[in-house]
Amino acid sequence: MNGAQRRKERIDRGIKVRSDGIYAVSSLREMAYLAGPRVVLIAGMLLLPLALEAAPYWKRVVNILCVYGLLAISFDFLANRVGLVCLGGSMFIGLGGYFAAIFNVHLHLPVYLSIPAAAVAGAAVSTAMILPCLSLRGVYFAIVTLMYPLLFTRLIEAFDVLGGTNGITGLDSFPSPHVENYAIIAVLLAVLFGLRRLLAEDIGLVMHAVKDNDQSVRASGIDVTRIKALAVFIASLVGCFGGAYLAHIYMWAGLSLFALDFSIIPIAAVTIGGGGGLFGAVVGCLILVPLSEFLRVFGTFRIVIYCAVLVGFIVFRSEGIMTYCTRKYEQFERWVEV
Amino acid sequence: MDILVYGAINSATLSLMALGFTLVYSISRLPNFAHGALYVTTGYIVWLGVNALGLGYLPAIAVGIAATAVIGGLIYRLFILRIRGMEISEIIATYAVGLAVIEGLRWGGLRGSTFTLPSFLAGTVDVGGIVVDYQRIFVLVLGAAVFAGLNLFVRHTKTGLALKAIAQDERAAMMLGIDSDGKALVSFAVGAGLSAFAAVLILPLGNIVVETGYNVLLYSIAVSIIGGLGSFGGAILASLIIGFAQVLTEVFLSAHYQMVISLLAIIVTLLVRPSGIFGKQKELDDRV
Amino acid sequence: MKKTVRGTGWCLLLLAFVAFLPGVGAAAEKPIVIGAPLATAFLYGWDAERGIRLAIEEINAAGGVKVGSVKRPFQAEVIDTRDLEPGVPVSEALLGVEKLILEKKADFIVGGPVRSEAALAAMDLLNKYKKVSILTTGVLTPAYHKKVADNYDKYKYCFRISSHVGVMANEFITLLGDVKKGHGFNKVYIMVQDVEHARKGGEVMKKMMADKGWEVVDMKIYPTGTTDYSVGLSDASKRKADILFLWMDMPESSILLKQWSSMKMKALPMGFVNAAEQPGFWKATEGKGEFLIVNLVNGGNAPAKITPWTMKFADAYKKRWGLEPEGYGTSSSYMAVYVLKEAIEKAGTVESGAVIAALENVNVMGVYGRIAFDKKSHQVIPSLDPEQGAVTSIVQWQKGRRVQVFPPKTAEGKILLPPWMK
Repeated sequence: MNGAQRRKERIDRGIKVRSDGIYAVSSLREMAYLAGPRVVLIAGMLLLPLALEAAPYWKRVVNILCVYGLLAISFDFLANRVGLVCLGGSMFIGLGGYFAAIFNVHLHLPVYLSIPAAAVAGAAVSTAMILPCLSLRGVYFAIVTLMYPLLFTRLIEAFDVLGGTNGITGLDSFPSPHVENYAIIAVLLAVLFGLRRLLAEDIGLVMHAVKDNDQSVRASGIDVTRIKALAVFIASLVGCFGGAYLAHIYMWAGLSLFALDFSIIPIAAVTIGGGGGLFGAVVGCLILVPLSEFLRVFGTFRIVIYCAVLVGFIVFRSEGIMTYCTRKYEQFERWVEV
Repeated sequence: MDILVYGAINSATLSLMALGFTLVYSISRLPNFAHGALYVTTGYIVWLGVNALGLGYLPAIAVGIAATAVIGGLIYRLFILRIRGMEISEIIATYAVGLAVIEGLRWGGLRGSTFTLPSFLAGTVDVGGIVVDYQRIFVLVLGAAVFAGLNLFVRHTKTGLALKAIAQDERAAMMLGIDSDGKALVSFAVGAGLSAFAAVLILPLGNIVVETGYNVLLYSIAVSIIGGLGSFGGAILASLIIGFAQVLTEVFLSAHYQMVISLLAIIVTLLVRPSGIFGKQKELDDRV
Repeated sequence: MKKTVRGTGWCLLLLAFVAFLPGVGAAAEKPIVIGAPLATAFLYGWDAERGIRLAIEEINAAGGVKVGSVKRPFQAEVIDTRDLEPGVPVSEALLGVEKLILEKKADFIVGGPVRSEAALAAMDLLNKYKKVSILTTGVLTPAYHKKVADNYDKYKYCFRISSHVGVMANEFITLLGDVKKGHGFNKVYIMVQDVEHARKGGEVMKKMMADKGWEVVDMKIYPTGTTDYSVGLSDASKRKADILFLWMDMPESSILLKQWSSMKMKALPMGFVNAAEQPGFWKATEGKGEFLIVNLVNGGNAPAKITPWTMKFADAYKKRWGLEPEGYGTSSSYMAVYVLKEAIEKAGTVESGAVIAALENVNVMGVYGRIAFDKKSHQVIPSLDPEQGAVTSIVQWQKGRRVQVFPPKTAEGKILLPPWMK
């Protein structure tokens, strides 16, 4: 280096600059550049079950992966877009699962009705539970949401309702593995792109403003609590759907739907994938869930491994994979003399 | 009468468990979610010292506390230092470290119910017609001693005063030449040491199982939140509240509502007074 | 069908081959895979795994399983379900079971899942994949075989070779009757853990004891992880309880025994205590757990003389793993493999339907008595006489050893009282 100071500078690629405006539709190349990543993701997700036709077990893993994906999206949406860090993902899963069990086993609704109904009912209950804490910030909100799943578990245990510690078994499963696979993949993709669209709309901008500076939003005459409640309802709707689906593919709902894993893994996935854009959440799950599958042979040791990966990411690469890839895709770097 | 005695012991246990967590938070605003893991680690180190290395009981305890304090310091130095100020990252990182330690111990063979520490002094004593074993008396007495010692340390030593200064106003303290990061490291190590101290006092009452790690963390959070994050007086008061509430539930209701009571207490406290009973944060900061 | 024809063809070819190749034994055949979903970080998981592995090694050493005209070896595929750990969803355990079936191509499921919630949820899965399973450890709830009886066609794949709460409660009552006669006790204090099987166990015991003229002073339910029992214990002392009846599966129960001993409580502790099953319990309580009477659920989980096979099993286990059989799940898992071998040989195939029929008619003299399943509920038939059915084993800790004290036909020693109770 001898004296000559150099630094890296990043510059947007020409094609990125061109496709930002109206010119995005001017040529196939621009369109391909813009649509490329999305198409890869959609096609990849849709082809996944077909590619795994020879390995039926992995098709089951894909289902679980998508459930975690939904949870991770809902966490990412709340934490990085609305500024509410919810550590209680398992509450959504639990409520969704138990409602599905009630609707399907006790009220005999068919699968296609009981899952959406459970998602709505679960979301309503979650929102009602979280409503009083919406005015809390930061650590406090996080801790309350962490406590809720524990509380539900203990209540069901103590009062011995809803099957107590044995849970409820005998839910209907899906008619075929293909329906099972594609139902959840379709929902995952719909939620992913739907929420991204929502965030680009006015309401999404207001939500982001709530995260950045809630006082100014209030000063503009917008009811902050209502916006937050709406966001919580959307996020819990997504989470509860995952829970209801999970209860149906395993034909069972029980206390362990409130297990810590459902709260931890999505957060880890968002951390690894990179938060904020919702894509990162899915990418994180695509990495974490198969990783933990490969590590299954190690028993409990796999928790240690993925905690290590998680800490490594938080401490050394806190932007996450997706953010990093986006940068590489949109910009190039060069050395310049200072 | 027995409600009084056992309530007091239960409260002392809880406040000892929560002490390290509260101390760290009060000084450096760090929610140390690895607290429970440190507690279990100490138990395991002491057990190894006694059973595998053939140390005496007291040296093993000394080694255990020192080692845990060092581990606490290392956790701060290696991981936390880089992400200070990002609240959520702090929670996730410390929790992940704790989880890795706990599950690592489980994987490494800390399983089953054969890991126990001997009590300092076997036998029981009669307190107003109630039989209490010596170890619980130790918890009560030494617990009180630690609180008193901490108070002296914070009020009358230079390091203690510096820590207090940081807790009050970090920027002003830094301007006066107090090294905030260095002191946070000290607080983390001391906090770890305190959780280690609690472990060697309380663990002889039971056995060393990894699940304790989760429970200790939960109770610490409960005590800290109800008392107000980072307030010692609050922590003691909250321990008394939870401790007695638990004993009363056990006597008049049924033991399996204990956890429900603690959890409800946390949630209600947070909803009504998010900064806790003695919390020093302004209400406005935590509410919109 | 086509497959089996082809398979037989291949087998014949292979047989012809083997005839010309001396020295090639059973190992050349396709193994029969036994999938074992177990919580291997816990006693009921690791001891079951050891039991299964020991049985498989013995059977393979003896030439394997005779299926039709060929001898096929067993192969164990163990997977850690983690289902006893708090914070782990049951779906995780079920995924483990699916992995065994779909990926490891398990022909049979033996062992777990260990937690009731997971095992009950796995029943639907076993029906979905049409796999025969023998439950050998953990699950004590009567709900399991009741489900089979209520919905035979759906759940006929599920068998249980270990005991359950109903049987255990009856035996405790019989044992308590003997103690009552011998010592004139009549007050009992119940302490149970806050999990379903323990609560049910406590409830059942409470009712049965009241019917038998015991005075049930109180019943306390403790949350999992409780580390202080002094309130309850001193309460029991004050109210002059003679028997302390426990039902717990958490490691913290050894604390209870420590406290009981340091208080010198004048009550004899007995019950189902997971922590007290293992040989290591003696050291864990520094000997303070002496005089505790524990139910090991099935005979042979501690060295005893129930059938000729019992000691043989205990010695083989000790030789293989370096310690005595530790607790519930050991002898039953070991037997399950032998029973499965018996059934496969009778059926002459590994096809589920035929094996179910064969299992329903199994009748062998095993490690803990005669093993036969009830045809409707697929629950192993219990008895107090090893000639008649599967016996449980109740032991008392005496001088660091687990001495079998019940059933009378298999007892090795008498129940002793602690010195401060005399």
